[in-house]
Amino acid sequence: MVSADAPLISNLSVLGNIALILEFHYGMSKRAAEKKVMGHLAALGMEDIAHRRNFHLTYEERFAALVLRALMVRRNAVAIDRPFLLMPGLPYGRHIFALLEKVEDLLYEGAVFDYEWNRERYEEG
Amino acid sequence: MALIEGALAGIGRSAMEKGRSLGGTLDFSFRVLRRMFSPQTYNAAVRMVLVNQIYFTSVQILPLVATVAVIFGVMFIGLFGQYLRDIGLFRFFGHMLMGFVVTEFAPFIVVLLIALRSGSAINTEIAVMKMNGEIRTLEMFRIDVIDYLFIPRIVSGIVSVVLLSSLFSLIVLVSGLFFSSIIFGMSLNDYTALLIDSALFSDLAVMFLKCATFGFFIVLIPIRFGQRASEELTSIPVSVLNGMVNVFIAIVIIEVLSLITLSVIKKLL
Repeated sequence: MVSADAPLISNLSVLGNIALILEFHYGMSKRAAEKKVMGHLAALGMEDIAHRRNFHLTYEERFAALVLRALMVRRNAVAIDRPFLLMPGLPYGRHIFALLEKVEDLLYEGAVFDYEWNRERYEEG
Repeated sequence: MALIEGALAGIGRSAMEKGRSLGGTLDFSFRVLRRMFSPQTYNAAVRMVLVNQIYFTSVQILPLVATVAVIFGVMFIGLFGQYLRDIGLFRFFGHMLMGFVVTEFAPFIVVLLIALRSGSAINTEIAVMKMNGEIRTLEMFRIDVIDYLFIPRIVSGIVSVVLLSSLFSLIVLVSGLFFSSIIFGMSLNDYTALLIDSALFSDLAVMFLKCATFGFFIVLIPIRFGQRASEELTSIPVSVLNGMVNVFIAIVIIEVLSLITLSVIKKLL
């Protein structure tokens, strides 16, 4: 779930938040999990946010962290809930699809849920 | 008549609520205890949280505990020892040190320090996480909240109270040695013999059990009340307030139960 109702854990960095899923779901050690997460962040060109906490992220960085966290779940079915709520300044949906394209090998199943009046924002740009 | 009925109904309702709350806390305690002794609970993430919590709860408070122990040791041992000597009861100095300072005073002071510092912080942390939706997020991602959040904090509470009480006692006993040799002219051998003669295995066993019980409940109760926070910001101070009041009630109850246990053991022996 990628949603404002499922925030990042505030006392963990981005790296800790995403690695936590691997540690619990796959039984990985902390080091192995963090190494794997750093690889995924590097694929997104976002290694510099690894050690930042929720409060110090931009909207886009937070969105990317939330998406990566959801993608770490085994056989994930990612529901992105109202992404424009998570990124208020975003005019069109192409940023969302561009991000998902970079990590499409991790995505098993996904869907974006939004209000009807936002449909054009996904179609434009 | 209606007024009396209303008052009695109110008392009954309040008693039932308190009873339900106590029952819920005891049920939660048993669930936590079962998980605590299960090796599967301690995966890499849980072990890391446990190490961090032990650092925050025990290591960071070390200077304060040591300072209080030194001040207490210097003041209390000197004054009390002198008083006992004046009234001709210095032979009970060892009993005072072991029976009062080590088994009662040290755990009580340490548990107050940890409850005020770590208990309130944990209560607030859990309440904020609840309000923020972080606990719901962990559950959404099938991360067991009891294993990941609660058990490391509770185990660190137990470890901290037991170890810091022991340290407090050790510092006070060393202060006692200083005063005994300098002011009362007692040798190290005499002082050690006095302590050994006064140390009963039952006292020490009850003390360790009491410290572990203290450590368990002064963290579990704040966690329980932190979970009761709602999505309103104003629920956080209410949760902390109620949590800390119940922690102090629990401290008194555990202290009374330990004294009863000790007197029953002594009667049986």
